[in-house]
Amino acid sequence: MDELTKDRVEQLIDYIMKKCLWQFHSRTWDRERQNENILGMTTQLLCDETVTAESIEDKCYWVDAVCLADAYKERYTWLADLEKPEIKSLMQDVKNRLDHLTITGSLNEELNDPLY
Amino acid sequence: MPYHLFKCSESIPEREKHAVIKGEGEDLTSALPLGYLNTIPGSISERGCAYCGAKHVIGTPMKDVIHMSHGPVGCTYDTWQTKRYISDNDNFQLKYTYATDMKEQHIVFGAEKLLKKNILEAFAAFPEMKRMTLYQTCASALIGDDINAIAEEVMEELPDVDIFVCNSPGFGGPSQSGGHHKINIAWINQKVGTVEPEITSDYVINYVGEYNIQGDQEVMQDFFKRMGIQILSTFTGNGSYDDLRGMHRAQLNVLECARSAEYICNELRVRYGIPRLDIDGFGHEAMASSLRKVGMFFGIEDRAEAIIAEESARWKPELDWYKARLTDKKVCLWPGGSKLWHWANVIHEEMGVNVVSVYTKFGHQQDMEKGVSRCEVGALAIDDPNELEGMEAIETLEPDIIFTGKRPGEVAKKVRVPYLNAHAYHNGPYKGWEGWVRFARDIYNGIYSPIHKLSLLDISKDEIRTDVGFETQRLLSDVNLSDEIKNSTTLREYTGKYDCIKDLRDKTYPEYLTKKVSEAV
Ligand code: SF4
Repeated sequence: MDELTKDRVEQLIDYIMKKCLWQFHSRTWDRERQNENILGMTTQLLCDETVTAESIEDKCYWVDAVCLADAYKERYTWLADLEKPEIKSLMQDVKNRLDHLTITGSLNEELNDPLY
Repeated sequence: MPYHLFKCSESIPEREKHAVIKGEGEDLTSALPLGYLNTIPGSISERGCAYCGAKHVIGTPMKDVIHMSHGPVGCTYDTWQTKRYISDNDNFQLKYTYATDMKEQHIVFGAEKLLKKNILEAFAAFPEMKRMTLYQTCASALIGDDINAIAEEVMEELPDVDIFVCNSPGFGGPSQSGGHHKINIAWINQKVGTVEPEITSDYVINYVGEYNIQGDQEVMQDFFKRMGIQILSTFTGNGSYDDLRGMHRAQLNVLECARSAEYICNELRVRYGIPRLDIDGFGHEAMASSLRKVGMFFGIEDRAEAIIAEESARWKPELDWYKARLTDKKVCLWPGGSKLWHWANVIHEEMGVNVVSVYTKFGHQQDMEKGVSRCEVGALAIDDPNELEGMEAIETLEPDIIFTGKRPGEVAKKVRVPYLNAHAYHNGPYKGWEGWVRFARDIYNGIYSPIHKLSLLDISKDEIRTDVGFETQRLLSDVNLSDEIKNSTTLREYTGKYDCIKDLRDKTYPEYLTKKVSEAV
C-alpha cells in the first residue's frame, strides 16, 4: 500500500476508533457481521449507490453507515476528489484494517467465547 | 508490547500485563492490557464482588421492587448513602433495603425458614409492593439454601406477587462484572416474555444499560418522549419490573452501558430478533449522533434534528465557557467500567482536557479496546489497579483532577488531588446537553476550588496576609485567559436550575397518533 493510501486509511480508521462503538461488539461473529454490513453500506453511500435496508437488522446497520458516511464527507474533503472505484478500493483497505484491529489481530481473549 | 510494570508492583510481576502505555504508532494489536481475570494474590484490588455487581449495580435501580439479600446484613452495605440511582416513585428502592440477616446458627442449621419469614414480613410491611428480587450471597450459596424453591412456595401462597431470583453470590466471578453477566442472563431466562406490554407508539425501544444516576434516565427519557418514542422498559434505572418482563416486544434495543448490559441485548437479538444500537449519552456531539441514529431508524429524524438544534443552541455557549478554562488540564479517568470509553475522547474534544490515564476496576478487554482507542498517545491504561499503583500513577502523572469512585477518590484527596465521583456523580445528571455542562461545572469547581491553596497554609506558623482578599475560583481560572474570552458576551457559566429533574416529571409531551389510529380517523 502506498504512503498516501496508508495515511488515508489511518485517518478513516481513527475516526471509527474514536467516535464509533459498533466495531466493538462482543464476539468474533458479531464483529464480522458489523464490519461487513456497516462498512459495506458506508461504501455504497459514499459512491451514491442506493442502499436497501428493509429488515430492522439492516436498518440498524444503515443508521450507523449514514452517520459514518456523513462524517467522512464532512471531515475528509479529499474524498470528494476520488473516483468511485478508488473509494471502493480505499474502503476495502479500511475494512481489512478494521478486521485486523478488532478481529484477526485482536488481543481480546473473549472474542471466541461460544456464549454471550 | 508497551506493558508497564509499576515500581510498587515489582514483587507481583504478573501485574505487568495489566497496564500499557499507548505509544506513538501503536494500536490495539500491541497495546491492550489483560482484563476480567481473577485479582492476583498480593494485589489489594478495589473491585466489588459478583453479588454487588448483580444487586447494587443492576438489580436495585428497578424501582417498584423489594430487593432482598439472603445473607449477612453487611452485604447490603451499599444503599442510599453510596448509591444515587434515583427514581420517580420517591426512591422506594433506595430508601428501603432488606437483608435476611444470616448469622452463624443459620450457617449451621440452614436459613430457608428465615428467608421465607423475611419475604412474608416484607410483603406484609409494604402491601403496595408486589414484586421482589432475591439475591444470593456467599453465605447462603455456600450452605446450599434453595432460594428458588422458597420463592415458588411464596408465589403459590401469595398469587399476586412475583419474585425474581438472582443467583450471583460474591464469589461468582472475578469482580462485580461477573454479577452483571449473571443477572442479565437470569432476567432473560426467567422473566422476559412473561408479560405482554401495551404498545402505545409506532416506535418502541428498550433503553438498556442506563441506571438513572442522579436522573440520567429521566433526561434521556425526555428526549425520547419528545420524539414520540415509547420506552417499553429501561434496564434498569427508574425501570419497572413488569415493564422489563415485556422487553421482547421492542423494535430496537438502545444500549448505553455495553459493559453491564450487552449480554441481554445480545440475547434479545438472538432469541427475539431485536437489533442492538450502541449509543453514547455523554457529550454534545455524541448526544446529537445518538438521537439522530434512533430517529433515522424509525424514519423520524426531523424530530431528532429539532431537539438537537434547540439543545445545542441553549447549552453550547455554557459548555464553551468551561472549555476555555479547562483546556490542557490533566485528567485521570478512573471509573469502574464503561465511562472510561464513554468519556475518553469527548472530554478531550469538548472540554479540552487531556486524559493522561484510563483505568477500569472491572472492565473486560473489550472496554480497554474502546478506551485505549479513544484516548490520545501517551495515556497509561491500567486494568484492576491496586491502591499503590494508583498512588504511583498520581505521583508520576501529576493530574489536575481524577474521576473515580468515592473510595479511591478519598485517597486522592489526601494527597491533595481533587476528585469527582465518576459513578454516583457530584452534581449530576451528566447525560444530555445540560448534564454535560453540569459535569464541566463540577470539573471546574473541583480544579479551581481555592481550598487547594488554602489547605496548604498552616496558621500556626505561615504568614497569613491580611491585606488581600481570598482568591476566588474565577481569579484562579481566568489568570491566563485572553481578554476576548474573559469579556465574551456569548460564553456564559451554567445557568440551569439546582434540580433539573423535577420539572421533567410534570412535563406534558406532544401526542403523536400511531399509524393504526390515524388510519382509523
Ligand atoms: S463477597 Fe460475599 S460476603 Fe462479601 S459482600 Fe459479596 S456476597 Fe457478601
